Formats: sequence, structure tokens, C-alpha cells
Amino acid sequence: MAFHLRVIHLLEYWAARLLLLGVDLLPPAAASRWAGWLGSLWWTADRPRRRVAISNILRAGVAGDPAAARAIGRAAARHMGTVLVESLKSALVLDDPDRVRVRIPDDVQAVLEDPDQGLIVVSGHFGNWELAGQWLSRYKPVAGISRPMNNPRVQELALSRRPRHGFRMIPKYDPDPGRFIKLLGDGEILALLVDQHARQGLDVPFFGHPAKTHTTAAMLHLVTRAPLCFATCRRAAPMTFELTLSPLIERQRSGERNADVEAILLALNGLLEEAIRRDPDQYLWGHRRWRRRTE
Amino acid sequence: MDGNGTSEILVRLREVLRDSAVEERDWDAVAPETTIESLGFDSLTILDVLYDVEEEFGIALEPKQVVKTRTVGEIIGLLQQHGA
Repeated sequence: MAFHLRVIHLLEYWAARLLLLGVDLLPPAAASRWAGWLGSLWWTADRPRRRVAISNILRAGVAGDPAAARAIGRAAARHMGTVLVESLKSALVLDDPDRVRVRIPDDVQAVLEDPDQGLIVVSGHFGNWELAGQWLSRYKPVAGISRPMNNPRVQELALSRRPRHGFRMIPKYDPDPGRFIKLLGDGEILALLVDQHARQGLDVPFFGHPAKTHTTAAMLHLVTRAPLCFATCRRAAPMTFELTLSPLIERQRSGERNADVEAILLALNGLLEEAIRRDPDQYLWGHRRWRRRTE
Repeated sequence: MDGNGTSEILVRLREVLRDSAVEERDWDAVAPETTIESLGFDSLTILDVLYDVEEEFGIALEPKQVVKTRTVGEIIGLLQQHGA
């Protein structure tokens, strides 16, 4: 690893430690405010990421002009700070039924209550996605498929601190080809985020613009026939959330793999867009979702 | 296991693997005793292969049975059980 990268990782690690110290010392409401302030500071300091976020907000069409886009971007940065804190203090939320209002359609509820049925739950970097996974683990074990963080020190720190309940993270690329299929066969929930740039993914419109999209959720549904739904965990107030699951998304196989996958991903992207349009300040805009082919 | 049937299925299976896999390799060398692990698929790339195998043979495999297979020969056996 290059020297400058090691230095950056070390700085990020100590920044994360500082954040955690604040989280531990302050009561939840104050910790959320403090983390929101840190998010705002990050927005001011990280110019490249800020430019990406403003460009994304304008491209998505959720802001009419750069000033409005900057306002949404700053609010979203504050939101991401509070997401981190509220994830770390999620035990307070998960144990209090008044803190999470839940909407689950009957067809999904039936799957959740059947111990033999696996379920694929898809979301995006919206609201507090990790809390959704933790809450759902009261029904059955949840495995969140994720890409490791770029900074291994911060990754280790984060994994050691987050309350887990029946929720655990598993790597996206597992050398055991049957890993995900087995988990679904064992009646577990596989949770995936659908809105990261996928170099080898399929071009699917996101806010009307082609974006390389991971095909995993769609392929798992098509191959295993496991039920699939979309989830959002909207932050309604400090430490208070609305967890909404969509009805089951079903696709009969046509024999054309890419057409089947695209149809499912279009539906998932559409549901994510709907949530973002409602609360654009709860989305992680700093991710380069619409990269050029060479990037 | 019928020898001729096995050979025919193996030929078709090699074609599916050739078309589905991202990685370049000598797919003609794939034999019944070849282990699935040695073919280099991971938890994501295997999904494309399974979809294409089911479409090629016009059958629906039981995922729980598929993950128990360790060799290409066992996959062939599974396909034959399903009438391929």
C-alpha cells in the first residue's frame, strides 16, 4: 500500500475513533447532533465528493438549480452522520416499539413468519438501511452482503462496535459458489444494496440515466425462486424510523437472462427513486453512481 | 448412469459453461470427475451458470440439491434425475 494511502487510512481511523468517543460520551440526541455537525464539516472539507454529490442531485432531477442541490447535499451529509450514530446506538431503537413504525404487506409477512422460507431484501443507501436489516433479524437471521470498506482499519473498528442481533455482514465475493443459495435454502434473509456502481453489472436506468447495476439480487430470485422485496428505513425523527417493505416482486423467467434481470432491477430502482424523491436529504449522494465506462 | 446420455449432457454442459463463464479456460477438458470448485466460480458467477443450465435443459433444479454437488458428474446425475 502506498505511503500516502496508509497516512489517509490512519487519519480516517483516528477520526472514526474520535466520532465513537463522542458517541459514547454523549446522550443519544446530543450524539446525533454532534455527528450531524461532523457530517456537515465533512461536506465542507471534502470538495471532490461534494462536487460528485451536487452533480448527482442535479442529474437525478431532485433539485432545480445548483443552490438547491447544495442544500440537499449538505442536509444529506448531516443525515449520514446521524445514520452512523443511530446505527451504533440502535439497541435503543430496536428495543422500543414506538421508535420503529413498520409497514409489511401480508405476502411478505407470511414469508417472514415461515422459518423454511428464505427472503431476498433489497435496499439502497437511503434512510438507515442497516437498521432495517437489524430490525428484520427478529424474524430470522439476516446476512447483509457487502463490499469491504476501502479502509480495513475503519472496517475492523466498525464491525467491532455495531450491535448485531441476528444480523451479520458477509462478503460479496465468496469463494464458496453455493454460499448465498445455501443461506436462502436455510430460511435466512439475504440483504443487499442495489445502488452501488457495478463494473460488470447491467446498464439499468436510475433516474432516467443508465447506471451499471449489480445483478445479484435479481439473479438470486430467478435461480433460487426465493421471494424478493424492497425495503426502506426512513428517518422520521431523531432515533425514530419508518420501515416499509414492498409487496413481493415476482418475475417469471422468459429464458432471456438479461431481459429478466433488467425487468427486476428496473422495479427495484423505481422503488428506490420513489423513496429518494420523497426524502432526497436521506440519500448518500456522494457515491459516483453514473460513472463513465473507463472509470 | 447411461454412458451415451452422460456424454451428450457433458457436451451441452461444456457449451453452457463456455458461454456463461467470464473466465477463459479449456472447457473441453471438463470431465465428470472435474470438481465444481476447480472451475473458478464464486457466489455471484455461479448464478449465471445455473440460470443458463436450466434454460439449456428446460428444467428447474432444486437449489438445495445443486449446492450439495461437488463434481460435474454429480451435476450431470442431477440433470438426468430431472429428465435431461
